[in-house]
Amino acid sequence: MRKRLQLIKEALSIGVVTRKYPFIPAEVPEGFRGLPQFDASKCIGCTACGNVCTPNAITFVDDTSLGIRRLEYYLGRCIFCGRCADVCPTSAITITKEFELASLNDRDLRLVIDIKLIKCQSCGRYFTTFRHLNTVAGKLQEGVVDLVNICPECRRKLALDSLIKLGGLK
Amino acid sequence: MSLYKRSIWVFHLNTGGCNACDIEILDVLTPYHDVERFGIKLVASPRHADALLISGPVTREALPKVIDALLAVPEPKVVIAVGSCPISGGIWYDTYSTIGGLNELYRILKEEYGINEPLTVRIPGCPPRPEAIIHGVALALGIVKQKVKFNHIVIG
Repeated sequence: MRKRLQLIKEALSIGVVTRKYPFIPAEVPEGFRGLPQFDASKCIGCTACGNVCTPNAITFVDDTSLGIRRLEYYLGRCIFCGRCADVCPTSAITITKEFELASLNDRDLRLVIDIKLIKCQSCGRYFTTFRHLNTVAGKLQEGVVDLVNICPECRRKLALDSLIKLGGLK
Repeated sequence: MSLYKRSIWVFHLNTGGCNACDIEILDVLTPYHDVERFGIKLVASPRHADALLISGPVTREALPKVIDALLAVPEPKVVIAVGSCPISGGIWYDTYSTIGGLNELYRILKEEYGINEPLTVRIPGCPPRPEAIIHGVALALGIVKQKVKFNHIVIG
């Protein structure tokens, strides 16, 4: 009996520990990885995040009939590893501390970003996005910038042709 | 949306998960987060439950048991999917031994039993924080509003 009374005394000294969470906002620890935020104005459609995504929550599909590259992000599959934010060359993806992601339907967990594709000047096929080319062209030296608008396949042929001309082969 | 005016009794069903979500669910029941202040209680049988709390990617072995448990819950029922796995299969979305989440389970239920999709609260996270689980439950109870929504952006 005395022991129990002591327990009550101890419990009263500690007081109420329950957090009033849904009614007051919760604090999140430093370095917590929550919802990845996509800044569409910065995205160049390079597909780096899709390549590195472990559960394939980020997928890229090239639709050549519409001329768009479609980024689909499915929150329901994301494991919040943050690798997409690590590899993004333009830091279009940032990891936020948002964790209140519960949803009543499946559709609300999805994000779709359509990025316009650009045609190869030589063969006329879609090969990459306009924004991706612009970013790459900004980093190149003079003289090779003209070759940016040509798809890798045509560029290979072009290089081979110029080599043949240089060596005088037939 | 507030489906229940009374307390929700929950049957917890692990369908082949890694137990990370189950630990977070246990955390929600501790005095620190104390989900019993909303009248939520874990029960031992799905026949006593109002809601079925699913964690894990619904493995092939677990599928018949999940269907049995889902059919045993009386109407109106709520399914609470905790974690990425029950929502979409998570990182096991295309493996041979899982069916790949609740969407596939609902398709099987529709085709084999003619049962429509019950109201489902999806709580993403791997595992979700205890607060995120409380937010999902509060969403089902109509205490808080949904924050995420579908977005379609077209850029040049």
